[in-house]
Amino acid sequence: MDCCHPDRPVSRREILRAASCGFGFLAFSGLARLAAMVPQEEAGGDPLAPKRPHFPARAKRVIFLCMSGGPSHVDTFDYKPRLATDDGKPAPGRRGGAKFLASPWAFRQHGQSGLWISELFPDLAKHADRLCLLRGLHTDVPAHAQAFVQLHTGSFQFVRPSLGSWTLYGLGTANQNLPGFVSLSPPSGNGGAQNYGSAFLPAIYQGLRVGVDRGPRAARRDDEDAVANIRNPRMPTKAQREQLDLVQRLNRERLRKPGDDAGVEGVIESYELAFRMQAEVPELLDLKKESAATLEAYGIGAGDSDGFGRQCLLARRLAEAGVRFIEVNQGGWDHHRDLRQSLERSARSVDKPAAALLADLAARGLLKDTLVLFGGEFGRTPYAQNGDGRDHNHKGFTMWMAGGGTKGGFSYGATDDHGLEAVEGRMSLHDWHATILHLLGLDHEKLTFNYAGRDFRLTEVYGTVAKDLLA
Amino acid sequence: MHRIHLAPAFLLLLALGVSAQDRRTQLENLLRALDRNGDRKISPAEFPRGEERFRRLDRNNDGVLSEEDFGRRPGGTEADAPKPNEPKPATEPAPGTAPGTERAPTPQELDFFEKKIRPVLADQCYGCHSARDARKKGGLEVDSKAAIRKGGATGPAVIPGDPEQSLLLQAVRYDDPALRMPPKGRLPDEVVKDLERWIAMGAPDPRTTVPLAAPGAATATEEKPLPMRRDIDLQAGRKFWSFQPPKKPAPPSTRETSWAYGEIDAFLLAAMEQHGVAPVGDADRRTWLRRVTFDLTGLPPTPEELAAFEADNTKDAYERVVDRLLASPAFGERFGRHWLDVARYAESSGKETNVVFPHAWRYRDYVIDAFRHDKPYDEFLKEQLAGDLLPAQNEDDRAENLVATSFLALGPKGLSTRNRQQYTMDVVDEQIDATTQAMLGLTVACARCHDHKFDPIPTEDYYALAGIFLSSETCYGTMRGPGNQHPSALLSLPPGALLPDGPSMSPEQRRVLEGLRDRAQAIVDQAGAATPRRRPGREAGDAPKEGAKPGEAGQGAKPAEGAATPRTDVVNAVRIRAARDQVASLDQLLARFEQDGRPKPENRLTMGVREAARPRDARVLVRGEVDNQGETVKRGFVRVLENEGTPTIRRGSGRLELAEWIASPQNPLTARVMVNRIWLHLFGAGIVPTPDNFGMSGQPPTHPELLDWLAVTFVEDGWSVKKLVRRCVLSHAYRLAATEDPRFEKVDPDVTWLWRHPERRLEGEAIRDAMLAAGGLLAKDAPVGSPVGTVESGLRAEALLRFLEEDRPIRSVYLPILRDRVPEALEVFDFAEPSFVTGDREETNVATQALWLMNSPDVQRYAVAFARRLLALGGSDDERIVRAFEIAFGRRPSAAELGGVREFFRDFAAAKATPNAPAEPPARGGNRRARPPRGQGRPGAAGPEAGLDPKTTAWAAFCQALFQSAEFRYID
Repeated sequence: MDCCHPDRPVSRREILRAASCGFGFLAFSGLARLAAMVPQEEAGGDPLAPKRPHFPARAKRVIFLCMSGGPSHVDTFDYKPRLATDDGKPAPGRRGGAKFLASPWAFRQHGQSGLWISELFPDLAKHADRLCLLRGLHTDVPAHAQAFVQLHTGSFQFVRPSLGSWTLYGLGTANQNLPGFVSLSPPSGNGGAQNYGSAFLPAIYQGLRVGVDRGPRAARRDDEDAVANIRNPRMPTKAQREQLDLVQRLNRERLRKPGDDAGVEGVIESYELAFRMQAEVPELLDLKKESAATLEAYGIGAGDSDGFGRQCLLARRLAEAGVRFIEVNQGGWDHHRDLRQSLERSARSVDKPAAALLADLAARGLLKDTLVLFGGEFGRTPYAQNGDGRDHNHKGFTMWMAGGGTKGGFSYGATDDHGLEAVEGRMSLHDWHATILHLLGLDHEKLTFNYAGRDFRLTEVYGTVAKDLLA
Repeated sequence: MHRIHLAPAFLLLLALGVSAQDRRTQLENLLRALDRNGDRKISPAEFPRGEERFRRLDRNNDGVLSEEDFGRRPGGTEADAPKPNEPKPATEPAPGTAPGTERAPTPQELDFFEKKIRPVLADQCYGCHSARDARKKGGLEVDSKAAIRKGGATGPAVIPGDPEQSLLLQAVRYDDPALRMPPKGRLPDEVVKDLERWIAMGAPDPRTTVPLAAPGAATATEEKPLPMRRDIDLQAGRKFWSFQPPKKPAPPSTRETSWAYGEIDAFLLAAMEQHGVAPVGDADRRTWLRRVTFDLTGLPPTPEELAAFEADNTKDAYERVVDRLLASPAFGERFGRHWLDVARYAESSGKETNVVFPHAWRYRDYVIDAFRHDKPYDEFLKEQLAGDLLPAQNEDDRAENLVATSFLALGPKGLSTRNRQQYTMDVVDEQIDATTQAMLGLTVACARCHDHKFDPIPTEDYYALAGIFLSSETCYGTMRGPGNQHPSALLSLPPGALLPDGPSMSPEQRRVLEGLRDRAQAIVDQAGAATPRRRPGREAGDAPKEGAKPGEAGQGAKPAEGAATPRTDVVNAVRIRAARDQVASLDQLLARFEQDGRPKPENRLTMGVREAARPRDARVLVRGEVDNQGETVKRGFVRVLENEGTPTIRRGSGRLELAEWIASPQNPLTARVMVNRIWLHLFGAGIVPTPDNFGMSGQPPTHPELLDWLAVTFVEDGWSVKKLVRRCVLSHAYRLAATEDPRFEKVDPDVTWLWRHPERRLEGEAIRDAMLAAGGLLAKDAPVGSPVGTVESGLRAEALLRFLEEDRPIRSVYLPILRDRVPEALEVFDFAEPSFVTGDREETNVATQALWLMNSPDVQRYAVAFARRLLALGGSDDERIVRAFEIAFGRRPSAAELGGVREFFRDFAAAKATPNAPAEPPARGGNRRARPPRGQGRPGAAGPEAGLDPKTTAWAAFCQALFQSAEFRYID
């Protein structure tokens, strides 16, 4: 009945009917496909099978370190000396006499490239030559929920597929035992499931949520059980296998009867994936096998950075395992007051883990084809709010990229003298999305899906690839 | 410059047009994947997916897959031919096309113009270059298509298709020091690019005349250019099929004359004959009974019902089944839920704040009762829009009418929006959107910022409707607090009405709430001692006349100025304010319940609407921006749908007239939309496949005459939903088997012509209810109210969520529906997103469903109950297996299946003997789904596996396998 879906995959009825032990065979076929990376045309039209991009890709996968709340750019990656000289002066055009607030943190140049980075990120600064700073970003609305959803889907007015879903739709995924799109601890608010939802794309492209961020006070040590219903503590695996064999046997009986098979095939495959996930996901989420040195490098076990460190390490494990799009979420960047303490704490919680992730990916040879993204839904004002806080600023902010075919040690775009508004190399979120897709080998104007009678794109009718930042 | 090659790509996209282009996309995907030699053809050798598949795709049978095979839809409808009412899609870029031969712009192009170009021209250029401005500097006007192309003293400003030669672009690029526009500063890069792109696509421009206000009307005051197309032709728009009143056609004659039972069948059969398909045979009685029982009640038939019906040889056996099901209370629960999908029903506000709506359940019960008692659909609609304005026979009626208006109040709300005007307009927008989509199948809300892109609905019509809703007050309750800037009143229900007071609170719950209140009060008291400037008397001032305005007490709690250090002061003030808000809301909540937890008469409140103090017309908001007000528009309706029968607004807000206008036989859409909604729940897809969009961007009906016949008959039947359902399910078409026929499959793979019954996947509600029913757990009676009714807060505390999300053995329609926290059993099976009007749910089969059915403690509990029920039966194991199949699938197992199950019992026992390493119970954590094992003692809450003997364990595993199977979730 899904009249909007593209051509249905080729029926696997014959294979499924012929298989004397459906499960074993299917599990095998999944693994075999992983091993051989069989291209799409031989994968029988599986919607998740790896697909050839539109043109040669620079990046094969994405890790998006998503900082919700709106991190201040003028205190982190966008150095504004004028802000120091104009500290305390009224910001022009602002009612109520808002005053510029110099950054409390010193900026220094780092690496051979000499990128200016503030002392809030001592560890990331060591990777300056890997970073591609995007200093000319801007977005439409200075409100969290809307901006956050727009960051993920391109639109806040309408429910649209998320960036990760589009990526999965465009490229498929390498590991059939895992979902191709995973979102680690996404916020329950700010649009919630929309941010990893597939909207009108087939549901198979939606992100799998692992854990959920309920705010700073919630416990976040739930690595293994973070995927809903991923384990069955009551039934041994072998017994559950017997149970599923019965289920699949009944399903195959149904396939033998004349009738439409797409639904039954979908059910059979959903158990196939679920069973493989049960085997792989808990192990993948179990960090106990990582060395003490690795855990230390990611800042795991060290107060502020523990939570994000775990997630970054998980992200690396998922990337290695062949997941196409991984999003790591870290909230708490909404510093309306008390900037000095709270921004420092926020930075401390991500600096070491993010740096470790870059180093780890590089050491494993993964950074060259893994696109790492870092940033939030908007930036913050150069003028003060509530004494030493900053308000939302959607007119100019900074994100960065690393690896995946981007220029390292590079800065693209700029805000005005105070960091209020993007003036050079301006990049809307549509441009950002177009550039990400481009790095993945996808033409954002060609990656379309027909729904409700028209072709939709992630970038609607907008989007320009920022070619300057391609390595 | 890379921009140059963007333009053709963009045009290519536009060229794809608005018609069903998925086939062409499909071709491109195939070519990308398979076309090795690049000839844009796929030979059988290049095609690895099997011969049968190839033949299916090769529609013209020429032995290669090429464009010719993908141009037309199956069944011969012309997918690519532009529909009469659609702008022609661009097939060619049109650079420099002479005006006489110029093609019409596509909707996308016009969209681009309206969004990107008109605002720039209006803001940046009209000031000096418009017909209205005496200056017309340089002789140039840019405010109409003709003028901008004609240009000024130096030549044409725009040469369609040729950005490089267009002076406009040279000017805005600022490259030539002698020609720089606008003079006060260069436009942002993206705007320049937009203009370039616009010219490259042929400068589509709908401005055929001078914009809006006639020259004489222009005044010295600031002019607000209105981004409206002046070329909406309502007269022409009315010709669109769905805006024409339905006429009752005579049933067509068919070649085959004995098949049709009645008119519905005649229409369907005629279409089948026309498209070269023919009905397959009938479904067997068991299949039909299972189908109709699920469709009408959302529950499976019992083995007794199956046996009785199979044995019933009387002539009216089918009729009597249908009448029994229509009369069962479960019918209301089933069809009520369908409407709740459409009404975007939920018990919390959603969005960032997500606070509960404790009284929303009254609307849920109202809807269920309405379908149960077959309330005429026109009355049903009138009550929901204007129940407060309708005459009532007695207090019961009056109460029902008030509750019905909750429809307008229970949409999602951005309660944290600071700008009050913005908030008000967003609420109104949501009301317009829900009302027009749910009742008219029109997306009128598209016209908030600009004229509707596809339908003849100008922005003025939107604001005409907005005036009606602005003249009404929306009452949804909620408490002021952090994140909620906009609490509102609620409506009091008449004291004598026969209505439940609401759900009871358990004594523990009351104790917990009192504890919370006292702790918050202590914070307030402490602060009160330290900051004497608190003004406690404030709340008395703005008490509303009716109902409570909860939370107002907190409003006076501005941070006390002049206290110690600024920072601790701010932190403290926030804390105190939060505590004070909490005290206020808990007091308000506790006041509605007796000491022992029973609800008091004070709990007889409902959400809804009432008339505002003074009706007012709305002003058009240019581009939807609240600080950009345009002209005032008189309250009214959607003009393209108006006809002789349209009422005029006599007094008050106009809601009553709106209700009369919608719930009228003269309205061309109302009956059509509803019969289509009912139809799709019985036949899998709507006659109009886009049930919430009957506009020009929706899909046309597959059986237009049938649709009209049903719509007119529906009205003639007194808008009776039960009569309509009865007609549909007693048709021969509904009795068809679901078996495939390869001959027809080729012609009509999507079963558009209903030559067989399409399989449908059950909704989450039916799947869960069927599991509960199989285990004998399902409570027959509806619960009183909702657990949400005993809460008044945001949804942050885990303990609260655990309480609300506890799995109760009630029908799923009564589970609390909180936005962003939909019960897992429903969420995994494509529940209707409760923030949108949803006429048709998705039917996916994904791994999260499998994991839930395999591992959720709830499902295991249902399976244990099912197993115990089977084991309590006498007889042999085989007899139990047969019984289990009958309960789960409504049929007996085949010999192969029986053998398979026996084998399973043997293997399972062996497998069970080799346990895994001992698994720990799920850790407690912030994860919403990894719930700790559930408590004991609730009905059916036998802790799975806890102390189960091996036999029960094995039978439970078997029962769970039945739940997991595809057959359990499909109806044939």
